[in-house]
Amino acid sequence: MSNAVRLENLRKVFEGRGGSSRVVAVDDVSLEVKDGSLVTLLGPSGCGKTTVLRMIAGFEAPTEGDVFIGDERITALPANKRRTSMVFQSYGLFPHMTVFNNIGYGLRIRKVPAPELRARVLSMLELVGLAGTEARLPSQLSGGQQQRVALARALITEPRVLLFDEPLSNLDAKLRVQMRLEIRRLQQRLQITSVYVTHDQDEAMTLSDQIVIMHQGRIQQVGSPQEIYSRPRTLFVADFIGKGNFLAGTVRAVDGDRAEVEITQGRLRIPAGGFRPADAVWVLLRPEAIGLAPAGVGRWQGRIAAATYLGSEIFYEVAVGGQNLLVKVGHPQGATPLEAGNPVGVVFDEGSLHLIPREGTA
Amino acid sequence: MNELRKILREPVLAAAIGVIAVSLFLFVIYPLFKVFQMSVVEDGRFTLHVYRDLLDKPFERRPIYNSLILGALVAVAGTAVGYLFAFAIARADVPWKRFFRLIATFPIISPPFVLSLAAILLLGRKGFITRMLFQGQWDPHIYGLRGLVLVETIAFFPTAFLIMLGILQAIDPALEESSLNLGATRWQVFRTVTLPLSVPGLASSLLVLFVESLADFGNPIILSGNFHVLSVQAYLHITGMVDFGGGAALAVILLFPTLAAFLLQKYWVSRKSYVTVTGKPSPARLSVDPFTRRLLFVLCLGVTGLILLLYGTVIFGSFVTLWGANYTLTIKHYASVFHIGGRYLRDTLILASVATPITGILGMVIAFLVVRKQFVGKGLMDLTSMLTFAVPGTVVGIGYILAFNERPLLLTGTAAIIVLLFIFRNVPVGIRAGVAALQQIDPAIEEAATNLGAGSARTFVTITLPLITPAFFSGLAYGFVRCMTAISAVIFVVSGRWNLITIAILGLVENADMSQAAAFSMVLIAIVLLVLGLIQVGVGRVATSQMGYEAAG
Amino acid sequence: MRHTLTVLAIVAAAAWAIPVQGAQVLHMYTALDTAETQLYIPEFEKDTGIKVEWVRLSSGEVLARLRAEAKNPQVSVWYGGPSQDHIAGKKAGISTPYKPPLDWTLPANAHDVDWHWVGYYFGAIGFGSNADFLKKAGVPAPTSWDDLLKPAYKGQIAIAFPYTSGTSYTVLATLVQMMGEDKAFEYWKKLHANIHHYDKSGSAPVTQAGLGEVGIAVSFSHDLIAKGSAKGYPIAMTFPREGTGYEIGGISLIKGGPEPELAKKFVDWALSVRAQNLMQQWFRIPLNPKAEVAKGAVRADQVKLINFDAVKAGDDRDRLIKRWRSEIGQ
Ligand SMILES: Nc1ncnc2c1ncn2[C@@H]1O[C@H](COP(=O)(O)OP(=O)(O)O)[C@@H](O)[C@H]1O
Ligand SMILES: [Mg+2]
Repeated sequence: MSNAVRLENLRKVFEGRGGSSRVVAVDDVSLEVKDGSLVTLLGPSGCGKTTVLRMIAGFEAPTEGDVFIGDERITALPANKRRTSMVFQSYGLFPHMTVFNNIGYGLRIRKVPAPELRARVLSMLELVGLAGTEARLPSQLSGGQQQRVALARALITEPRVLLFDEPLSNLDAKLRVQMRLEIRRLQQRLQITSVYVTHDQDEAMTLSDQIVIMHQGRIQQVGSPQEIYSRPRTLFVADFIGKGNFLAGTVRAVDGDRAEVEITQGRLRIPAGGFRPADAVWVLLRPEAIGLAPAGVGRWQGRIAAATYLGSEIFYEVAVGGQNLLVKVGHPQGATPLEAGNPVGVVFDEGSLHLIPREGTA
Repeated sequence: MNELRKILREPVLAAAIGVIAVSLFLFVIYPLFKVFQMSVVEDGRFTLHVYRDLLDKPFERRPIYNSLILGALVAVAGTAVGYLFAFAIARADVPWKRFFRLIATFPIISPPFVLSLAAILLLGRKGFITRMLFQGQWDPHIYGLRGLVLVETIAFFPTAFLIMLGILQAIDPALEESSLNLGATRWQVFRTVTLPLSVPGLASSLLVLFVESLADFGNPIILSGNFHVLSVQAYLHITGMVDFGGGAALAVILLFPTLAAFLLQKYWVSRKSYVTVTGKPSPARLSVDPFTRRLLFVLCLGVTGLILLLYGTVIFGSFVTLWGANYTLTIKHYASVFHIGGRYLRDTLILASVATPITGILGMVIAFLVVRKQFVGKGLMDLTSMLTFAVPGTVVGIGYILAFNERPLLLTGTAAIIVLLFIFRNVPVGIRAGVAALQQIDPAIEEAATNLGAGSARTFVTITLPLITPAFFSGLAYGFVRCMTAISAVIFVVSGRWNLITIAILGLVENADMSQAAAFSMVLIAIVLLVLGLIQVGVGRVATSQMGYEAAG
Repeated sequence: MRHTLTVLAIVAAAAWAIPVQGAQVLHMYTALDTAETQLYIPEFEKDTGIKVEWVRLSSGEVLARLRAEAKNPQVSVWYGGPSQDHIAGKKAGISTPYKPPLDWTLPANAHDVDWHWVGYYFGAIGFGSNADFLKKAGVPAPTSWDDLLKPAYKGQIAIAFPYTSGTSYTVLATLVQMMGEDKAFEYWKKLHANIHHYDKSGSAPVTQAGLGEVGIAVSFSHDLIAKGSAKGYPIAMTFPREGTGYEIGGISLIKGGPEPELAKKFVDWALSVRAQNLMQQWFRIPLNPKAEVAKGAVRADQVKLINFDAVKAGDDRDRLIKRWRSEIGQ
């Protein structure tokens, strides 16, 4: 039986309470999460990620649209019958129960006999690396341990779908990196269809089979991490993922798979990606795709406006034709950073540029 | 629509909502409606002549002014004393804080009229102070407005104290510190920061005390002399004159200001609060200067002294052979508490112990529904269940005799009507406790249970209930106290089969059988303290077995 | 948790099941004092094996409640309270006739013509003055109705509300029958200036006078003795020389009451020599000629009585009380 999750035209409107206006939290979201894959919902705070997740879990009823797991339409199924397990941002551990009882809770609801329950809880504790803590209360665990208990509790019932709502945001930076690798490892090993909500792009990049970028309740783009990064479809996506230089331009001609684009600094031949002559576009130039050369060398000439030294790399702002370009340079050992005011040449490969539609505004 | 469907999918939840909605309608709304109806319908036709007749007569109008004046005075005096205590404890770091706190909350658990009894024993014409200090040369005139302001202030200032303590403790000391830091004197800090931030609390305390005073029945029926107030007049109209229309109309008149104050409090003042109550109480770091502290200490000492004197007098009075004539000490009054008062004690305890747990559970369930669930009419359920708190007992009592005097809802004379009255009058206590506790619990905890397969009922029983157990017990404790000390509403529904100790005490006081009344009151207070102690021990055990919830949130 | 709930359920069930074991329970309202009721009821229970569940209310309150409950009577007997209140009860249709079998005759003014109520004791209205008060104020005890109007008694007199208390209504009816209605109200308006406060219960002023909270109580002689001098309070009892009113204390059977047979047994018992003798403890004058009178109790031949028409008093009750409320303003 397939455990793919399918969302069809989901829409959620919160009617304002006590005078506040109504909020369209989720607007026409359709999505397919393949069986056994991990999909991340990524977007700024308030864009509706949690709401989508809660509609999958059954905590919120969609205003319109449907939710399917496999071929089963579960829109009307109560939350406790859906066999989806959620890992909450605040963990939601039962404070009055021991670790053992927390993890065993779902099995007890399913009336699993005590010996089997015990065995399964202990092996789950083993799996998440918490053996020996079963008699403790959640308040006696560290943040990372609580996180693992939450994970174990979600996994043990063998849910059809695993849901994560920013599970790592309460952990410190180091633990966060470690835990996300662990989550990925477990998810791949157990092959559970997972939907993971985060606003942290690094997390999304490392974890996901597919990333879904959301903005103001709508899906902006769905794709693999590479796709999203290198071929963003909207300015919002490009801006949200990684850093970029956006140069306003207009397509002048299309010649085979290349488009000739006119920008202030001159003309560039960029992979066309379906644009037509006269289309208004943004040219996306990623900072790491730009190199610096001695003055007089390179496609464009500019001057260093500012430098930010980050240890393993340096970010330069280079003034080129009245515009500042952000340039990332892997820091060569021993070399001293260029100082502001130095003239430099700018080099890049036209084939690594990417076009994004530009509507009226910049 | 969506929500309706979601609810219907959960039969237990739907049933709970249905049952509660029907009971609230029957036992809260319907009696009030009957009061209203009785006052405006005569021979099946609508008429305002009952009101016209009442308002025509100066002696019927008088109690309206009297009640309002008394309410206003008590609200101001009680709030002032409450603020004094709260400020002294939360901000001025006076010595003996725990002691003051204890004494300042004690009047909450004592039956209301005990203070009137004490006032008579002390300041009546043959009172202790009157005779000892003034040799009977001066009559303090406590029968009337003066006496009522005194006893009601003492009886109700604890509410003001608790409200103000909550507010003051929630004010971040950093605000006061930064004011001081910016060059303000301590007095300026108080005037420009502390006091303005306490204004919503002060307003809410004024309104609550106003309502409590208006609704008070136990004190005025003993101490009002010829200063007639609405609650007692409504009672006399019904029980003394069989004038149901007039009694109901007075009840409606009494209802208006109380309801207005309640709604103002709920929907306006509470919105104006700048202080987020969710914050943890912060320790008072900003101290006042030594002189002010000493002054506050002395004032608190004065008030606690008065309270102790009042209760002490009742204790002493209960051992006096014949108050006013023979001051030999005796324990015969205690003997007759159990002799003539045995059945009152038994009945009161039975009724209270049946009503209390039901009240507690109902309160928690309603709190749960209101805080955690979405359904049509939720706001109405919330409002209705809190309504009995604002409606004076006299009005509720009259409503109950009017509503449940005929088939098919024939309940007069049964234990059920008393129990129901207890339940629906006290359920707001449980709801408040439950709501406060639930708001502290991360909803994710309950959602996690649902997510793992538990239905609404199961989630409530295995997760929510254990987490709100301490709140449940404190709701239970206070509910029990209110059952044991209730008088204004139940006085209408007691019957030969079921008698209440408070009503027996009232009869004794009325017959000026002071020592006997004092002994009864002492036994009543002792029982209340005992039960509170037991509940405390119970909660303590629960709390230690589930230590530290907060950490997980 | 489940256990707690089970326990609560059991407690609740038990509490509902407890009441009224044994079949024979008589329900009554009594207008006698709680303490006095305790003198008689246990004896009745002992003599007959019938258990009594009673509520004490002022007799006006009893009447009010019986009227309110007329559709659904809760009790079978109304025990105590002056006959005019019982007469008003008959008029209100809440009582039912019963003629007890007696081997002696009740005087005609001591029972209803149709036996809707029967009398069982006699008591006269008197004044009870606190001796200390009299001494300090340097005034004699009042010996006439007009004495009560003296400025020296200002704010010193206590009496009950005529509408809640049979005692006080007896006073009102007495004054009306003595002086004529308008004069009586004139009189009471002047009296009002001297009244400290009104009580609900007719005997409540006695203890207040005993305590010295007020100087003078207007009440029935037996209450003045039983709750005053007999208890040790310095109460001096006097009677108005123009003549005073009195009550015949009555018992009514309630129409549609739940236990008519037990109620009749109670009436028979209350008129028996044994029950009538018990009243010595409260200084009431028994009507059964074979019963004994307490020492110090005030018999009908010891004071000047007016020719009191209880039937008229009962018939006029509603009207007089309405007038009293609007003229006195209480
Ligand atoms: N229960 C609710 N009632 C009203 N508005 C809500 C509710 N839950 C979320 N919203 C609103 O819906 C929008 C999306 O919220 P959410 O899904 O929590 O965003 P995210 O998880 O992406 O930060 C926000 O504007 C939020 O304020
Ligand atoms: Mg979110």
